[in-house]
Amino acid sequence: MTGLSLELLCMQLLTGIALGSIYALLALGLCLIFGMLNVVNFAHGAFFMVGAFLGVYFLGITGNFWFSLILTPLVTGGLGLITERFLVRPLYGRGLDYPLLLTFGLSYVLIEAMRVTFGIEGLPSITPEGLGGTVDVGIGTFPKYRLFLIAATAFIIFAVWLFIQKTRYGLIIKAGAADQEIVKVLGVDIAKVWLLVFGMGCAIAGLSGILASPTRSVNPEMGIPILAESFVVTVVGGMGSPAGAVVAGLLVGIVYSMTSLFFPDLAELSIFVLMAMVLLIRPQGLFGKAGAMG
Amino acid sequence: MRNMNQTPILEARNVSKSFGKFKALNDVSTRFMPGTITAIIGPNGAGKSTFFNILSGAFPPSSGQILFNGKDITGIPQHEFARIGISKSFQITNVFKQLSVHENVRVAAQMETSRYNFLSNTKNYQKPIELADELLRRVNLERLRNKITGDLAHGQQRALEIAMALACNPSLLLLDEPTAGMSPEETMVMMDLIHTLASERTVILVEHKMKLIMGLCKRIIVLHHGEFLAEGTPEEIQNNAEVRRVYLGQG
Amino acid sequence: MNAFFQFIARHRLFASILFLMIFPFFMPYEALAINILIFGLFAMGFNLLFGYMGLLSFGHAAFLGIGSYLTGISIVHYSLPWGTAILIGVIGAAIGGLIMGFLAIRTRGIYFSMVTLALGQIVYYIFYKAESFTGGENGLRGVKVETFSILGIPVDFLNPLTKYYIILFFVSIALWLISRILNSPLGAVMEAIRENEKRAAACGFDVTKTKLLVFVLSAAICGLAGSLRALHLSIVPIDSLHYLQSGQAVMMSILGGMGTFFGPFIGAAVMLYLEDIVTTFTKHWMAVIGLVFMLFVLFFPKGIWGTILSKLHINQDV
Repeated sequence: MTGLSLELLCMQLLTGIALGSIYALLALGLCLIFGMLNVVNFAHGAFFMVGAFLGVYFLGITGNFWFSLILTPLVTGGLGLITERFLVRPLYGRGLDYPLLLTFGLSYVLIEAMRVTFGIEGLPSITPEGLGGTVDVGIGTFPKYRLFLIAATAFIIFAVWLFIQKTRYGLIIKAGAADQEIVKVLGVDIAKVWLLVFGMGCAIAGLSGILASPTRSVNPEMGIPILAESFVVTVVGGMGSPAGAVVAGLLVGIVYSMTSLFFPDLAELSIFVLMAMVLLIRPQGLFGKAGAMG
Repeated sequence: MRNMNQTPILEARNVSKSFGKFKALNDVSTRFMPGTITAIIGPNGAGKSTFFNILSGAFPPSSGQILFNGKDITGIPQHEFARIGISKSFQITNVFKQLSVHENVRVAAQMETSRYNFLSNTKNYQKPIELADELLRRVNLERLRNKITGDLAHGQQRALEIAMALACNPSLLLLDEPTAGMSPEETMVMMDLIHTLASERTVILVEHKMKLIMGLCKRIIVLHHGEFLAEGTPEEIQNNAEVRRVYLGQG
Repeated sequence: MNAFFQFIARHRLFASILFLMIFPFFMPYEALAINILIFGLFAMGFNLLFGYMGLLSFGHAAFLGIGSYLTGISIVHYSLPWGTAILIGVIGAAIGGLIMGFLAIRTRGIYFSMVTLALGQIVYYIFYKAESFTGGENGLRGVKVETFSILGIPVDFLNPLTKYYIILFFVSIALWLISRILNSPLGAVMEAIRENEKRAAACGFDVTKTKLLVFVLSAAICGLAGSLRALHLSIVPIDSLHYLQSGQAVMMSILGGMGTFFGPFIGAAVMLYLEDIVTTFTKHWMAVIGLVFMLFVLFFPKGIWGTILSKLHINQDV
């Protein structure tokens, strides 16, 4: 363990936070959809992947990262709206497994769609101008983009939190998540809420994709392991808990990062082991309610 | 109160239950003697359902104890209840809708004989089949034995549930609003059945229909706002000023 | 026609095995028939948990994979006889089922699907990393079964038709076991739990223990499918363990008819046969099967076999 300094540890921690930010955002999107509609979006990884592709594509043709950053989630969100309205909604009341199964099938179609559109090799990722290079953070140099990533996801998570806590729609979402019957009785068109939430969840997934795209290879299969990793975060954080999603996301990112420092071969495995331990000791997750889910 | 020296078949000691910040039950204590039929009543929101659920094992109390024949059974899992002889029927009919009437009771009857056997053929298991036949006869459903349960009338489904509850030969039977949603005729039939059952075992029921309770039960417990309000014979309860005050109307 | 189906309904095991015996002659080539046989068993083992207990596991590829790898490793690294190798594969898968089941059963509903997917990935990564045993990314190679003799008659395992019938022998045993389970008291409890868990518990059944038992049985059967697959392919691809492989079992069950006895096999046959045809004139098979699957989820949830049975008013136990 020569050369292991506090600086190195801190840098690795920072890397973990950057990775964890993406996980946190992804898990938050998943959590919103689950909390409101009781649906686990098995296409979440695929929407992430679509977001990454669209992000790179829009950036490539417009040269404007901020524009791409806004357009991409709108497109994936729109796809989400269509999915909920025409594919998922007919399945409510049929049993909890059906929407899940449908989104699983959808993920296959999305993956193939991207292969057809952009080729099986994928696209080369682009780091936006002005966000490239490194920055001196006092203890070392750190990629500027990753700092941006941390700041951007924190901002987005905060915005979502504000939306849920402070706006009328957010209140309905919170109430609806707790008791769908009450919301219906209050005369709120619950279908519109479902539509909005599913769309939001998919928009967030797409946003995670474009934000993550400069840090990894953009190919049609990139969403496949992401789905599994989102589930790990959700189990660790606790199903249906947005706070859990965020905290667990960061935790998982840090665990991955720190493990790759000491045992690089076991990094991927480590986060799953973390999940298994949580299942063993506290099956409802760190922030989950006992008895509700486990 | 007769036989003060007898062990109560069921006892609740200082039972409280909170759901988050909401306290559904506060320090309720009472005893049920063997061979009696007791009704738990109270206005809406009194905590009857919560109390019933705790007594019948759906969930444990937040604090306090439940004793069965003097033994502490607080917190044991739901499936243990049937095995020790406490059986229940649900407020909303809970039967196996896709199975036939006979299959419903047969499954319930299987509890005694085998639960994990995966190699024998159920057709060869005579005991549960015979027991199911007998139970269906008791509740007058034997001519419907092959009908799919989802197709039965409401009252018949509730009778089926009673048959299933009897399958494990319980010494204590807990019934949650057994006549809910029934027509007057169905209600009479159910009440007759309960009366017969009460002569062989202890019965505790939650009910709203006061007329029936007055005729059927020797003892009534009144809950209000999650607390124990009063108990006594039907006459005592009827004349209780407190009860009259909180319990507006359903004569 | 109806009498024919009534006969099948009453003798489902016999009818199934009889059908499987003549099945290779309907297929364009034996390797496809063998593949269908193996994945049919995989789907049927999975269906025990999904169709009959209502538990949607996305981690069952782990058991297919454990069966394949343990059998393969026994032969390649330890030169064990193939019969023993199969036994090791099945027992290993059952133990895997016990562990995964124990961790996953305490979760409910859709949470269960997520957890099993993630737990299955643990198995994937473990086998991926254990390169010296498993060959890592490249898979395990050289799972060769020599010609052997049964009762003095030499058997050429490399002859596709012979291979089919040897594998069918094992599949038949598994089918017998599945049919037995469904007809047993456990089968009745399984159905009760699937119908109404609360009521089953109130009747006195330990829901958790029952689920775990079925999980283990299901894992063992999928493990057998895996063991047979290793012998058939002579290699074990690493993707056998990936959750997409689990997804394939799910798709086959839905396509064929979950909650029916033979449905999953039909689902496997249709899916693999379709794949065989479609891949000859397009490489976008994934989109095709994704669309087909979504169509079935939306409009034909009973699956092919389930829909046929219900149209003929036959009990879904077939």
